[in-house]
Amino acid sequence: MQNINDTAAAPKNSRAAKTKAKEIFARIIFLICALFSIVAVLGIIGYICYGSIPALREVGVFKFLFGTTWSPDYGHYGILPMIVNSIIVTVGAVVLGGTVGVFTAVFLSYWCPSKFNIKYNGKSAFIRWWVNRINKINLSTVFDQVIKLLAGIPSIIYGLFGLEILVPILADLNSANIGQGILACSILLAVMIVPTVASLAKNAIDAVPQSYYEGALALGNTKAQAVFRAVVPAARSGIMSALILGVGRAMGEAMAVIWVCGNRALFPDGLFSYIRTLTTNIVMEMGYATGIHRSALIATGLVLLIFILLIILSMNLVPKDFKGKRGEKKLSPDKEAEITYKRKGIGSAVLKWAAGVCAFLVAAVLITVVAYIVIKGISGFSWDFFAGDARISVPTFLPAFYATLELIGISLAIALPLGICAAVYLHEYAKQDSKLVKVIRTFIDTLSGIPSIVFGLFGSLLFAPLFGNRCVLAGALTMVLVVLPTVIRSTEESLHAVPMTLREASYGLGASKVRTIFKVVLPSAFPGIATAAILSIGRILGESAALVFTMGTTFVFTGNPANTGSSLTVLLYICANEGFHMEEAYMLALTLLVFSLLLNLIVYFIEKRVKKSHSI
Amino acid sequence: MKNKKILKAEENGAEKISAKETLKNALDIFDFSSGIAVNIENLDLYYGNFQALKQINMLIKPNEITAMIGPSGCGKSTLLKTLNRMNDLIDGCRIEGKVEIGGKDIYAKDIDLSALRKNVGMVFQKPNPFPMSVYDNVAFAPRTFGVRKKAELDEIVETSLRRASIWDELKDRLNRNALGLSGGQQQRLCIARSLAAEPKILLMDEPTSALDPISTGKIEDLMNELKTDYTIVIVTHNMQQATRIADKTAFFYLGELVEYADTQTLFTTPADKRTENYITGRFG
Repeated sequence: MQNINDTAAAPKNSRAAKTKAKEIFARIIFLICALFSIVAVLGIIGYICYGSIPALREVGVFKFLFGTTWSPDYGHYGILPMIVNSIIVTVGAVVLGGTVGVFTAVFLSYWCPSKFNIKYNGKSAFIRWWVNRINKINLSTVFDQVIKLLAGIPSIIYGLFGLEILVPILADLNSANIGQGILACSILLAVMIVPTVASLAKNAIDAVPQSYYEGALALGNTKAQAVFRAVVPAARSGIMSALILGVGRAMGEAMAVIWVCGNRALFPDGLFSYIRTLTTNIVMEMGYATGIHRSALIATGLVLLIFILLIILSMNLVPKDFKGKRGEKKLSPDKEAEITYKRKGIGSAVLKWAAGVCAFLVAAVLITVVAYIVIKGISGFSWDFFAGDARISVPTFLPAFYATLELIGISLAIALPLGICAAVYLHEYAKQDSKLVKVIRTFIDTLSGIPSIVFGLFGSLLFAPLFGNRCVLAGALTMVLVVLPTVIRSTEESLHAVPMTLREASYGLGASKVRTIFKVVLPSAFPGIATAAILSIGRILGESAALVFTMGTTFVFTGNPANTGSSLTVLLYICANEGFHMEEAYMLALTLLVFSLLLNLIVYFIEKRVKKSHSI
Repeated sequence: MKNKKILKAEENGAEKISAKETLKNALDIFDFSSGIAVNIENLDLYYGNFQALKQINMLIKPNEITAMIGPSGCGKSTLLKTLNRMNDLIDGCRIEGKVEIGGKDIYAKDIDLSALRKNVGMVFQKPNPFPMSVYDNVAFAPRTFGVRKKAELDEIVETSLRRASIWDELKDRLNRNALGLSGGQQQRLCIARSLAAEPKILLMDEPTSALDPISTGKIEDLMNELKTDYTIVIVTHNMQQATRIADKTAFFYLGELVEYADTQTLFTTPADKRTENYITGRFG
């Protein structure tokens, strides 16, 4: 309206219009990527429901859920025993693993010495140098890293550990000489969920204000009383969330339990009797099932999915500590401390020792698992396996390695752009308290909670038929869904760490929003995005349940991503499953362990560097 | 063949320069020939329900340095940010009244925000160089507005750094990361980065409050040099700084413009009691 200079108006408007069009276009792209999580979750639920319909119609919902006989050859599809088994095993795992995990977290937060304190008075300069070095190590960092490493060990390796160590030990304990069953599954799953529970519980405990602890001490509490009567209760809802997450992981785990459950679809009659869970039912039979049988397995997945969705839902109901008003209600630990002052505190002292024992136990189990794999892997080492040619009947390393590389490459090529754009929308565009953002976040959380066997089912229903057969591409598309939540979350965290002043500087220079995001914000967030990529690689490397039915299980691989091949982890599963190739299985397990150690180290150093550069 | 190619390249080059010129003209949306750089009339600004600025009226002439002073929370930084619409980034910020730059209402619907911010540059309180090389920092704005040729960029980077009196210190480390510079150098780099956009007005939000005395001196000298080419508006907590560099000074208190006069007059014979109290250190 107020154009002073009409000649200037035309080009200006075209330039401004171009910029504006670009802005709108980019915004739409980002929004679509953010909405993708919703589509994915609904798609998975929809497809699994759709695939279940034939079986549910043929068998009847009631007969399917409450039937006690599973005998596909005779047309009996009752999954009640498996539902019961899954629930018992999960409860057992959470009671065992949850307790150990929470106590370990308490120990790490309050009793773990921060440094070694070795004294050396001798004369050897060499030893003194080493003692000094060792004394400088920050122990809590070491433990954090160890927990992360434990969480990153592929579940199939835990399965191997269960099959080869746990089951024989348990077999000696009972007269029937059966190692598999409820107890074995519970212990193994407990070992698996300890890292998750411990690290989340530790976060919750560390978030409790120091004043609670000090307040209790000032009232004459012993350290143990202060920790267990003031700090831990204050962190209870965080600990609750950690336990619920553990429930979800235990219930959805398939590959770790497949070798230790015994696979008999009956009700358990004691701690040592062969059982079958919902997840193992799918893994055992999906490979050859057709028709109603296949549909019944998908329906088994649906039941599992419903359980998991309920667990995720209950997670959202847990109030958040120190954020909402409910947290503030607990602001007077003094009263609680006052009461405990009158007691002698023996209970707390016992708990303190329990914490120490639990932490020790975790360390012992980790050392056992790693040492066992390392020794077995090295002792069975053969060049033929690592460098040998691919053959149809003999497993070799290279084909699986190439297939894994392609799998990682294709998955990341899709998941990274998708996840980064989604994170950009959530962090840079959307209003943080808007309903849409809340909905998207809920769906991202849901996506990350879905068990990998369900992803595998979905992939085998949608992606594998898309390409005509099981192949690397189908596996990669499945893995995109698996790693997407990780990518979105870590990218968002790194976007959050980019100082607002940089965005202001860019806008102040006349740069548009899109230019600011691509030239200033994303480059500054690069280390975080790299971390996201590495975490995703770790996840893909360790995945097996989602790949067996999407990517395939062959020993040879043509190199064409449209062909079938097995990833390293799947190959490990095949090798150990048949029992003919245990040496190869251990070599693979060792290789995977080394890979996950390396990835952990890379993430550690990236994070260390970022901390340094931010502190300047 | 080669000659043809070169010829073609030159042709393209010529076209590009002309394209750049039209672009420049297109971005040159303000006209200062009337002798008024900024004209603020009856400006009210709200953050949600809180009124941060009340009925501000102010005229700023080209090629003058105007200082805005006042106690914390008086609205001086807020007013500065209305001049290049950085307030748009804040949720719940609402504006009533008129803000004209070069005779043009910058809150009109058809205003090109990029062009506005190109013409009204800003230097922030804390130096905020991008985590990239010195060169890329200075070249950021020209690149935003379509300058791609290396030679042109080189020239812009050098002149901008020279104008910010930091060329001699940095000419050998143009490719180093800007985060490695000292605080004072970073701030002068940020000034150079703003100058590279060829602004008409330079807004400075307490540009020396995070710096040591020597760097502060350098930047004040710089402002006096820049005055011949730019209109400068500076927010400062330091009253001595205002007396040293500003032609005019505005005193703000609780969202009101209490007094706006020649720096000399304001500091020697303030008309308002509140101004007097503030400059004699009785509050704030």
